[in-house]
Parts: sequence; structure tokens; C-alpha cells
Amino acid sequence: MADVKDLEGLVLRGEMTITEFACAKVDASIERMKERNPDMLWTMEIQKFMWDGFRDAHKNGKKLVFYGGSVPTELIAAFDCVGFYLDTIPFRLSTNPTLTAKYIDEAEKYVGASMCGLDKVELGAWLSGAYGMQPDLFIYNSVPCDSSRVAYPAMEKIIGCPTFSFDMPFRRDERGAEYLADQMEDLVAFMEEHTGHKLDWDKLKYFMENANRNFDLQRQCADLRKNKPCPLPGRLLVLNGTTNAVACYPIMGDLYQAELEAGQMMVDLGMGVCEDEKYRIAMLQNMIWGNASIMDWMQKEYNAVAVMDAFGFQGDIMYEHMDDRRDCFKTMGRKMQNNPMIHGASGPSENHIKLVEHIFEQYDPNVSMFLGHVGCKHTWASAKMVTDMVQDKFGIPTLYVDLDAIDGRYKSGDEIKAQIAEYFETVVMK
Amino acid sequence: MNYQKLFDSDISNAAAKAWRSEGKKALGVICCHVPEELFYAAGVLPVRLRATNCVDSSEAETWMSSFSCSFAKSILQYWLDGTYELDGLVASDGCMMASRIYDNAKYINEKGDGSKFIMQIGAPRLSNSRTVPFYKEELKDLIAGLEKLTGNKITDEKLKAAVAKQNEARALIKQVNALRRAEHPVINGTDMLKLMLASTNMPIDTYIELLKAFLADVPNRAPITEARARIMIIGSALDNPEYLKVIEDKGGLIVADALCFGERGYGDPLEIDEADVLGSIAKYYLERLVCPRMMDKHTELHDYIIQSVRQAKVDGIIYQRMQNCECWGGENVLLEQKLKDAGIPLLTVEREEQMANAGQLSIRAEAFIEMIEKED
Repeated sequence: MADVKDLEGLVLRGEMTITEFACAKVDASIERMKERNPDMLWTMEIQKFMWDGFRDAHKNGKKLVFYGGSVPTELIAAFDCVGFYLDTIPFRLSTNPTLTAKYIDEAEKYVGASMCGLDKVELGAWLSGAYGMQPDLFIYNSVPCDSSRVAYPAMEKIIGCPTFSFDMPFRRDERGAEYLADQMEDLVAFMEEHTGHKLDWDKLKYFMENANRNFDLQRQCADLRKNKPCPLPGRLLVLNGTTNAVACYPIMGDLYQAELEAGQMMVDLGMGVCEDEKYRIAMLQNMIWGNASIMDWMQKEYNAVAVMDAFGFQGDIMYEHMDDRRDCFKTMGRKMQNNPMIHGASGPSENHIKLVEHIFEQYDPNVSMFLGHVGCKHTWASAKMVTDMVQDKFGIPTLYVDLDAIDGRYKSGDEIKAQIAEYFETVVMK
Repeated sequence: MNYQKLFDSDISNAAAKAWRSEGKKALGVICCHVPEELFYAAGVLPVRLRATNCVDSSEAETWMSSFSCSFAKSILQYWLDGTYELDGLVASDGCMMASRIYDNAKYINEKGDGSKFIMQIGAPRLSNSRTVPFYKEELKDLIAGLEKLTGNKITDEKLKAAVAKQNEARALIKQVNALRRAEHPVINGTDMLKLMLASTNMPIDTYIELLKAFLADVPNRAPITEARARIMIIGSALDNPEYLKVIEDKGGLIVADALCFGERGYGDPLEIDEADVLGSIAKYYLERLVCPRMMDKHTELHDYIIQSVRQAKVDGIIYQRMQNCECWGGENVLLEQKLKDAGIPLLTVEREEQMANAGQLSIRAEAFIEMIEKED
């Protein structure tokens, strides 16, 4: 297996696409894990499913659908297409600073430096010709933020394939659900036109049932985190973000099932991920993809585990009436509004406040952290309201750390750790 | 009639105070997708919020952080420090920053005495047969809110009268704007922006009278003959005429713009469909080209910019983008190449609400003007 630096070199020279690079990296991680930590292989299997699926879509005779923001993956799957969630590119590349920097720099030839790093990587990689594939369709949403609202329409024009865009209302009520259900009908018409197939309701039902199973398992995993000590590591919270991409496939349920079994075993043994759990952290934003090892470090160094975050946490929105088309489409819309990053960050701030309040009520944290991605300007603009509520209602001060979730040049992992360490030593442990 | 008030761009509470002293309400408006016609139909004075001359937004920064656009932060600053004395504000979710002004103002109001009327309406980011009816429903909510606040019923007749009044202002502004197309205009870009900003300081009737007085005086105004280059300015919300003055002081005469406080702020006339008055207003506000927040209007906006360059015989475009304004911040992805293809020179500059970089702007503007000025 080639060294990751060699692989990066191939990508930089245009001899390997970023999709092939991601597949090779996942394969290498699996090989390493087989040797060092075979019990955790389930955490990588989902990555392999995703990346191999993207790479091989056309080889397998499937249409490839790029998508951005929250879109109904159940419908994409029901039309037998492979959905490629564009945010998975910056997630995956975030641990490869050279490549990330290259694509960010490419994008910044055109866009302001303050644009979100995720969108810059997606855009810059496309402008660099690094995807190595042409999608058949593109679907995007007007969420989560102003950066994506600029990046996706620009990519639509550059990619030049048939495109469908959603307009996401800020309101989470019946009018908002009806509005999205109408747009779901438009998407079905778009998919029927461009795939040449009519919507097969039984197929859709299969994927909706998968989604129900997966979110039920996710909820059970989340419930396990209420135990003291917390049986599951903070690092796994980051994986919840993956649900956007594979929420309706059985493999997502397999992951949660494995997570649930591992967590339940820990509970049964009376064990936690920390040897002697002292601190339970609520993460008010949690987008440290380039530095996820910080979660492990906090567990080891301070016996502090992230019990829940306001990024990946989701409510219990389930499909209830599988044969009622309108009801299913409204539920799809509500699920889209409840996706990670959309639910709290992109709607009115009071959604974020309620979400965090719920986390504090349910998970009993005694440490509050806002590790805020600088590209999420709108989340930063809500932060005081959220943290004031935490202080007023739960008496807990919040640590603010600005970081770039994608671009390590903004602040290194060591700098982030130093800020967290100082907080633990001067505030939390005092 | 003395029309000098048109060129006083400082924020003034005088009109709102006078309006409120008659027992009527005055509300702040954020930003381009809140139709002012609805306010006038309810007897409410709409005051589009801006942040002209704000030099310290530190109080607002504690709420919105240093990562927010400084225009938005400065508006919140003025809201908090009492620069605006209004009965409340109405925002649309124009961009995330506009939404956060609303969110913070609402939160602070609820923590305080709760006396302000604070409301947000949703403005879709696409304009089509699905989104216009949705937006119309949002406008119905606004009507209900205004009716409750004032006790005044908003009828179709009142809406039509308000539209007619706004259309009158639109037509007059079009005439003023046409003056800029002349070889030797009688109004420069700095004064044009002041004239546009003045609309936020007074009721529409007063504004119309002043515009008429200005237009009547056009024959007496001296043409500007000294310009080295004709400039179009595009980009983020710009409410500081001093910014344009720096460019014009270097010989760049600003003869066209694509600014939301500029000529696009009023736009074309709103045509009423008698069968659906509110629907006409909804359609107009979603379709007009005023901000790149609309995801399906980028091509139209670019075409408009190029068309304006041709019509106003522009030598080059200055594209100013506010730090942390993503709506305008990403426009170059497609626009830059289009302008290159059309042979239109472009200067891109970063900006903050506070005029901290006037020296740098001056140097860059001068270099750009030197590059594009035509020798006679």
C-alpha cells in the first residue's frame, strides 16, 4: 500500500482523482485497523461502502447524483441512483492538509477567504478537475448557509448537468412542511424525467423503512450516552454527520447496531470510555473533522468525554404512514430540516437554543464547549444567545474556541488543545 | 424647493419622531425583501435600517462575534445603542446575517421589556410557481402583524395606493439615474448614493417632492467634465458615500451601480394584477434583481451588470465585497470570466463597514483608474 504522501503527490500531479484517493485511504485505514484494532472495523466499513460506491457508480450502471445541503436521499436511492454528498469530500480530505490547502487556494482565486472551508474545498476541487467524474444530476438545497448558497449555484453552472434545487423555509411548521412536500413532488418529476423511470413506491418504502430503523438505532445510541459513565467515545459523535449520506441504507443501521452493542456491553460492565469519568462535555458545535483525535485526548488527559453535541444530534422524526404519499413527503421535508447542521444552525436561533437546552436536560453535562468553525458565521452570531442560556439555566460557563474544521492552517491541533487545556486547568478543574 | 436634504446621508430620527408623535408607528426594515408598500398601507413608516458612519460596533460584536459581516453588526449596534428610535423591526431571512440581526434583536427584546414589535418573514431564494405563493403567505402574516400593531385594516385599495406611490418614486429615481448615463453627468456617484440613502430618512411623500425639486433644478447643475474614467460599482450593501468619494477623488466617476442601496434599491415599476394585488407584490419582490441571495438569478444579475456597463459607457468595474458577506463574496466564480470575455476590466477590493482602509482603497482605485482611463 502506497504511503499517504505518495498518494497526495499523485493527486497533486493530476494522476489520481480525489475519489480514488479517498478509496485508497479508506482501504489503508482498514488494513491498519485489521492489525491494530479489529474490533473497531465497523467504523470504517461505512466509509468503504460510501467511497467505493461513489467511485464505481457508473461502472455499476448507476446514475451518479451529486448533492449538497440536505436532500431526500431516500428518493435518490429509490430511483436506483448513487447519491454523492459533496460535504464528504472536505470531511475526508481534512486530515490531508496539503490537498485541502490546494483546493481552498484554488477557490479563493474567486471567492472571499471568509467563505466556509467545506464549500471552498468542494468548489476548488471541481475547478482543479480533481473529481475525475461527471455527475448525471445535481440536487442541492438552499441550506445550510450563505456559503453553500453561493457555491452550489456556481457549481451548477460549471458542472452543467440537469439540476434541481430546493428552497428551504426557515419555518418548521405545517406551512413549511407543505411547502417542502410540494417541492418533493417536483423532485420526483425531475427524477422521473432524467432517469426514465417512474417512482417505484415499494422501493421508496424500503429505503424509508431503513431510515426509520437507522434513526431509531441512532436514538438508542444517543440514549446510551445518558449513562454515567458514558460508554461511547466522543469521536463517534462526529460519525453522526455521515447520516446525511447514507441514512437510508442498511449499512448505516449496521454501524449503529455495532455501536449500540459495544456501548451496551460497556454499560453492562459498568465501564465508561474514561477510566474515571470526571467531566461530561456538551459540544455546542462540533466540527473538528481535521482534529477528531482531540476527543480521545480529552478523554485520556482530563477524563472528559463529549456526551452529546448540537451538530449530529437528531430528533425522532420517523415515517409513520408509509402508504400516504403526502405524509411521507412532508416527513421527508421535516427530516431535511432536522439534519445535522441544518436543525440548529441554519434556522432561527431559537432552534439552536432549544436543541442545546434539550442536551443539557437529557445528558447532564458539566462542561460546555463551543468549538466553532469559522466558516459557520451564522452559528457564531447565535453563540452568545445559546451560551447565555447555558449559563443562566445550568450555571455552566462555555469555552469558545475558533477553529477551521477543514483548513488546519487556521489553527493547529496543538493550538486548539492548548486552549482547551487552559480552560480545564483554570476554569473546569478549579 | 430646497432639496439639499437629499444629500444628507447621516441617519436621522427626525421623520420617525414626527411620525410617531402623531400616534403612528415606525418600524425598521431589514432588508430588500420586505415590501415597504405593506407598511404604508398600514399607516406605518418603514425605515430601512443601515449603519452609515458607525465607527464602533463592539457591543453588537459581543452578540454576533467577530466572524459576522460588519454591516450587519453595525446595524445591530445602532439598534442596541438607541441610534434608531422605532417601534420595532421587520426582517426577512435575506441572508444569514440579516436573520441573525433579527434573532439577536428578538432575544434581547424578550429579555428586556418586550416592548418592541419584532417579526421575520421568509423570503424564498428561488423565484417560481412554488415560491411566489409561499412568499405571498408570508406577506399575509406580515399584513396580519401590521394590522394587529396598528389597528388599521390593509385593503387592496390601500396596497394599490402604496404601490402607486412607490412607483412614482421608482420613476423619479429612474430619471435621476438616467442623468448618470450622460457624457458629462450632473450628479456623481457619491451624491447619487446619498440621494438613495436619504429615502430611509423620510416618508415617501417627502422623498418624492424632493426628487421632483432636484430634477427641476437639473438644468442649473454644472456638468462633471473632469473624470478620468467611468466606473460601475457592484458588491455588498454599501451605505457609506465616503467610500465612493475616495474613488471619485482619484478621478473615477461612478456612473452605474448594482448596489442594494443604489439604483437597484428601487428598481422597475411594480405592475399590479387587479385580480391578485398581494400576489403581484410577492412576484415583484422575488423577481427583482437586487441581491445575489437569490440562487436562480446569478446569470440575470451578470447580464444586468454587463448591460449597464454598455449603457453607461463604463470603463471598468469596482467590485467591493464586505468581509464575511458570502452572498456577494462568491460572485466572482462566474462573473470574472464573463467580464473578461466581454473585455470589461475589474478591480476586486475587500471592505469593512468602518472606513479603515481608505488609504489602501485610494491607492488601488488610482492604479485601476490609470490602467483603464482612455487618452483623448
